[in-house]
Amino acid sequence: MEERKRCVLGFLLLFFTLLRDLSALSITVNDVECVYEYVLYEGDTISGNFVVVDHDIFWGSDHPGIDMIVTSPGGNTVHTLKGTSGDKFEFKAPRSGMYKFCFHNSYSTPETVSFYIHVGHIPNEHDLAKDEHLDPINVKIAELREALESVTAEQRYLRARDYRHRRTNESTRKRVIFYTVGEYILLAVASGLQVAYIRRLFSKSVAYNRV
Amino acid sequence: MALKFWIFLAIIQVLLTTITEAVRFDLESGHTKCIAEDIKANSMTVGKYTIVNPNEAHHTFSQEPQQPLPDSHKLTVRVTAASGNSYHYADHVQSGQFSFQAVEAGDYMACFWALDQSPATTMTVDFDWRSGVAAKDWSNVAKKGSIDAMEIEVKKLYETVTSIHEEMSYLREREEEMQDLNHTTNSKMGWLSLLSLLICLSVSGLQLWHLKSFFEKKKLI
Repeated sequence: MEERKRCVLGFLLLFFTLLRDLSALSITVNDVECVYEYVLYEGDTISGNFVVVDHDIFWGSDHPGIDMIVTSPGGNTVHTLKGTSGDKFEFKAPRSGMYKFCFHNSYSTPETVSFYIHVGHIPNEHDLAKDEHLDPINVKIAELREALESVTAEQRYLRARDYRHRRTNESTRKRVIFYTVGEYILLAVASGLQVAYIRRLFSKSVAYNRV
Repeated sequence: MALKFWIFLAIIQVLLTTITEAVRFDLESGHTKCIAEDIKANSMTVGKYTIVNPNEAHHTFSQEPQQPLPDSHKLTVRVTAASGNSYHYADHVQSGQFSFQAVEAGDYMACFWALDQSPATTMTVDFDWRSGVAAKDWSNVAKKGSIDAMEIEVKKLYETVTSIHEEMSYLREREEEMQDLNHTTNSKMGWLSLLSLLICLSVSGLQLWHLKSFFEKKKLI
């Protein structure tokens, strides 16, 4: 019983190190920015999301979006997302190794991308069979943990989208006030110019009724 | 037998902890890269950064001796809050770590500067930044009491659920703020367009009045 407890403790400690997640980070993409992530086991689920926060929302969102390309350690493209302003992704890693997540910005304006990548491993029946000290309850705990991770990931995604919407709204508010006041001033100036021109037309230096 | 097991476990643990799941990015010499993270108020945050040795026998359990990193591979790190306060600064280092309690909520930025080197080299920096629940040191909690491993796992899950609950309240708050903002923008737009109509009418009225009096003065009307 002591031996078994020690084994369970040992393997649970291993789980703690394996199931670490990554925090939501933001990076400014000028042209291409790449981030690497190591996947320990083949068949692990790589899930995550990214949201683009526009820097200069001036003429409206005509930005084609950011491309995300995931490359496997073998060099082939595993997953692509083109021209989006933010999306979720989830795929199974075909092999273990260092995966490359690249964000491509086709416009010259720098964009800030807030991303979150999580590599989740659930021990399956093969691992269970290989080691008799592995309790089926560990599988359930790992599944539970993964489910909670997906909820946390969704929350980070919502938070990032909320931030993006807030920026858009604040920019809209500023632009409304700026354009309206500018419009008033322009109107007053145009009318003043009109009056000045008409006065000049009827001034003494020009002959009367020659208009 | 038990001793062998623990030694084996310790070795595995050490080897696995060197294979941390962390962000890794390339840093060209003379360039800057900044990574920002949104941290909640009063949460613990821990960060570790190292320059990855390209000669390292990476992710294998071989025992080859590793060449030390060349001396020119050094970077400067600065961690600043959104308000501008610097929480960590390290100059000319190859690795390091920082941990602090985030007093203010908001975006914290960790910037890495690579020193200029004559043949422009690209260094790979391994950066592990965790905050909140993930930053908590569970090995200490395990050592303190003779707590069951299963209990630790369940405790971890409970803390995760609590943080999810807090995050939901925070998101709801933000959504409410956004709704208020939209409402005020909407009403502002209404009032401003009414005002613009008024200004338009008054300016044209003023024009008419001024021109009429001008022509009457000139005895044209």
